[in-house]
Amino acid sequence: MSGMSDRAPLDVGDARGQGRQQSDPVVAYTAELRAALVGPARVKSRMVAEIHDGLLDATDAYVGEGVPRAEAARRAVRDFGTVAELVPECQRELTVAQTRHTARAAARCVPFLLVCWALTRTAVGPAAAPLALLAAVSTVLAAVTLAATGGALARRFPSPRALPRVVAWTGTGASLGMAVATLALACTAFLTAQWPLLVLAGALSAASHAVLSTSVRVCRRCPAPAADPLDGTLPG
Amino acid sequence: MKTEAVRGHLDGLLLAVLEPGPLHGYAIITAVQERSGGALELRTGTVYPALNRLERLGLLESDWQSVGERRRRCYTLTDAGRRTLADERTAWQEFTAVIGAVLDAPSRTGTRTSAGSAPVRTRPAT
Repeated sequence: MSGMSDRAPLDVGDARGQGRQQSDPVVAYTAELRAALVGPARVKSRMVAEIHDGLLDATDAYVGEGVPRAEAARRAVRDFGTVAELVPECQRELTVAQTRHTARAAARCVPFLLVCWALTRTAVGPAAAPLALLAAVSTVLAAVTLAATGGALARRFPSPRALPRVVAWTGTGASLGMAVATLALACTAFLTAQWPLLVLAGALSAASHAVLSTSVRVCRRCPAPAADPLDGTLPG
Repeated sequence: MKTEAVRGHLDGLLLAVLEPGPLHGYAIITAVQERSGGALELRTGTVYPALNRLERLGLLESDWQSVGERRRRCYTLTDAGRRTLADERTAWQEFTAVIGAVLDAPSRTGTRTSAGSAPVRTRPAT
């Protein structure tokens, strides 16, 4: 964030920073908001930075009217609404963003799982079917979630409020399935002549687990969106 | 006008002020307040998550631009956003026409037929 560090740094880890945080209402507001929100780091960082910039713009506008800067910052913060008022609005959007992040992680697992399934089927035959099931679950999870939360379909139909929870726990199940598959493939590799195929399949399954498990962990931590009767007020 | 009354129309207001061209977050807030003559009470912080949501829905696009001495995220209406804005305007005009007709009803009572005449029933055309 160029241009903001001259007046209001967001990182306030040291004692000097903490003192400044307490004295600058804009920094204190932004830090409180950042601490209260859970979601994908990039999206959260962008949202908080935009709000911070908006507060600086509002402060500048008051200063331009002749208000002293400290009072101008207090008025800007007052106009924005309290952090408690703003957090549900921001968190609702971050929860959806995290849900989409998890859906994209599931989509990235699908090619790994398909190759994993093909290798395992070559080695052990129909016993590889659970891997095909994991690939199918990941595909459906990704497709349904991305369609329901963005683009034309989401403009026409409000996203179900339960969707983030469903995605978090379906993703958790799929991620655990991948971990179990990795373990099973590693154990089976010792018992068959085609162990190189199974070792490779196990590595792909482990990679899928690594990709998905990190995202679902954050997804489970995201608070469920609060009810908002005004959601979906736009015509489709 | 109270904050809660504005909230239900926030999406339409944001799309409308972006119709002439791209604006960054605080300029959008200023444009809404200027267009309303300062009559709208808006918790300005809530504009930012609303802009994020409209972008996710494909109604806005955004990118970082240098505005003055700072970099700011500027928002632009997409084609879908323009269509949605047109729908929003139509829906609002129909809504105000209907509510206006009901609210204005007492001034028209004098033109109605005399008391005791048969009630008027409306039926759909067949």
